[in-house]
Amino acid sequence: MSIMQYNGGSVIAMVGKDCVAIASDLRLGNQALGISSNFQKIFSVTDRIYLGLPGLATDVTTLRELFRYRVNMYTIKEEREIQPETFAHLVSSTLYEHRFGPYFIEPVMAGLSKTPSGSFKPFIAATDLIGCLNFAKDFVVAGTASEKLYGVAEGLWESDLEPEDLFETISQTMLNAVDRDAYSGWGVVVHVITKDKVVTRTLKGRMD
Amino acid sequence: MANTGGGAYSYSLTVFSPSGKLVQIEHALAAVSQGTTSLGIKASNGIVIATEKKTSSILIDDLMLEKVAVVCPNIGIVYSGMGPDFRVLITRARKSAQAYWKMYGEYPPTRILTQEIANVMQQATQSGGVRPYGVSLLVAGWDGTRGQQLFQVDPSGSFWAWKASAIGKNMVNAKTFLEKRYNDDISLEDAIHTALLTLKEGFEGQMTEKTIEIGIISVPSTAEREEPTSAATGRPKATFRKLTEEEIKDYLAL
Amino acid sequence: MNSFANRFSTTDHLRELKRAQANIEDDEFSDAAWGSEAGFGSLAKGVPTFSVPAVPDPSAFLRLHTDDHADPKCRIKIQHGTTTLAFRYKGGVIVAVDSRATAGSYVASGTVKKVIEINPYLLGTMAGGAADCQYWETYLGIHCRLHELRNRERISVSAASKYLSNLVYSYKGMGLSMGTMICGWDKTGPAIFYVDSDGTRLKGDLFSVGSGSTFAYGVLDQGYRWDLPDEEAQELGRRSIYAAGHRDAFSGNTCNLYHVKEDGWHFIGNYDISKLHYDGPDNVDGAGYGYDVRVGTRS
Repeated sequence: MSIMQYNGGSVIAMVGKDCVAIASDLRLGNQALGISSNFQKIFSVTDRIYLGLPGLATDVTTLRELFRYRVNMYTIKEEREIQPETFAHLVSSTLYEHRFGPYFIEPVMAGLSKTPSGSFKPFIAATDLIGCLNFAKDFVVAGTASEKLYGVAEGLWESDLEPEDLFETISQTMLNAVDRDAYSGWGVVVHVITKDKVVTRTLKGRMD
Repeated sequence: MANTGGGAYSYSLTVFSPSGKLVQIEHALAAVSQGTTSLGIKASNGIVIATEKKTSSILIDDLMLEKVAVVCPNIGIVYSGMGPDFRVLITRARKSAQAYWKMYGEYPPTRILTQEIANVMQQATQSGGVRPYGVSLLVAGWDGTRGQQLFQVDPSGSFWAWKASAIGKNMVNAKTFLEKRYNDDISLEDAIHTALLTLKEGFEGQMTEKTIEIGIISVPSTAEREEPTSAATGRPKATFRKLTEEEIKDYLAL
Repeated sequence: MNSFANRFSTTDHLRELKRAQANIEDDEFSDAAWGSEAGFGSLAKGVPTFSVPAVPDPSAFLRLHTDDHADPKCRIKIQHGTTTLAFRYKGGVIVAVDSRATAGSYVASGTVKKVIEINPYLLGTMAGGAADCQYWETYLGIHCRLHELRNRERISVSAASKYLSNLVYSYKGMGLSMGTMICGWDKTGPAIFYVDSDGTRLKGDLFSVGSGSTFAYGVLDQGYRWDLPDEEAQELGRRSIYAAGHRDAFSGNTCNLYHVKEDGWHFIGNYDISKLHYDGPDNVDGAGYGYDVRVGTRS
């Protein structure tokens, strides 16, 4: 039994038209035993960057605090908000620092980055547990249900979805994928990020 | 104990004199003001930094002499004072810029890099067994958040942003000259000419493309910024570059 | 290079294997010659025979390559996560099971029938290897019927379960994996026997088998009484499977509920475990088994 599956949990992020969405399940388990159905794995980094941390629960908490520290230091030192691309590199560097004793987390990021002309560009990325970056143009997945998420997302995702349609797509992808995974589920939370607001919804999922 | 000059306080770097001075730092500034003149002017669409390049003998091959240095694609530095000290600092600055790139996937903003160098210089005013750096620096850089910026760093480790400044032998005269010539919407081309005129004021000997060095920041347009990396090499496009001898020759001819 | 040796040697491995296979196939006529006999073709010989690996010690070979709790690094994966329960009370036997089949962490099916209807008076539950349970319990059904024809009387639950336990014991160490409860009603009244592939056979009032059994026992133990009314007994079975389906990652999807009475077994119903969580058995919105602390914030 892999340590990556010890607590279970999955995250997915998708690109839409001038928006991005990120979703995760809410289960915290101890192997087969479900412990909590309200374990948040997605955290806001800035108003326009969200970070999902599926993997070993103790590292979820530790990395969340570590990134909070590093982003706060960045913001204070540089007197500017961190951009998604920069943050993705920060995540990658931070994880690679622990190349030979890694955090058991495969982060997923979603955000909107500011272009020089002042508009916003959707951005998603994911890394493996030692920080290999994957900048995808459609969707990224991670966690115990990642294979199932790939399958469903591959079937449901299409380009240039409006925020409401993207919400529906990512929700259905998540709900159906986690139902096929023993270690994920127990509810789903979805964040849809647009340039002027973030809509967060908690979905009713199967509870078995 | 040496009791001449600054008294007992003048040698021990880490001890304040009763009047509240760290005399070694003042000595370092004195070393700077014996160095060749350097100056920098921030224009509306760029920055120019320039310096006088003096050789003590005509036999010296000035090929190796470099006083305007590139730190990373968006930042350049010029100095007045002790050459070897500058060499150490520029190495530190380049390493720092690359470390930043490794961490964040982009080159540091001007102020961050300046702060890094200033910290190195400050450390030398507080550590045992070292002396302060005998240089002042003019750091010219451009970044997406703050645009073009010109910083001066002194041996004490303090730094300020300038619209135009001069350091080294003729700094007082040069600054007075710049004050008269400067206006807020000066163009880069005009700034380069002003820089040459200012250098000329206190120049000893002939001013040629061999005896001066110039570096410029040219601010990229919004369209250029949409493509921040070169399609051919995949590397970030440079906003700072040194002028070639031919280019300097052309400017001097005008 | 080895062709010369292969051609003329009488003791090389390839030949040994070929000779062994030829022996198996030449054994009278193969079942295939008479058309499909669904694996029961060799009944005439009593116990069905299976071709075993052509090695000196088949049981050691199988132990090495199949799922066995002595060796967690199994190679032939068999469905393991399950919750099944059965209890005896004054009104008969309640049998309740979940319907999830997993392969590793993958939920391979959510609609598995884990109660095997051996005959109208006997039920068997399925935990461990699905194929093993299905095959041997069906086979048990054949013998129960033969027993009826021979003796003009239904087989007792005790005898049926003993038949099964002796059978699986003869295959001990060869990788059979089953944990089953044989439930029924005979002359002695309601009866449950637990039989597993180790050869264990236990008589008892209350059993639960599978990865979710601990959760089921928790609910079962606190609610169990001999003189439960039928309704409450059924509810206890349902509620116990719900608890296991909820907490255990390898159990869930739906609950199948059976009630064995004097006149044989009755299928009570199939219940979606998530529906039980939110809406309860009577499908009343918000009247589910799940409590507000956990689900109150859900929209």
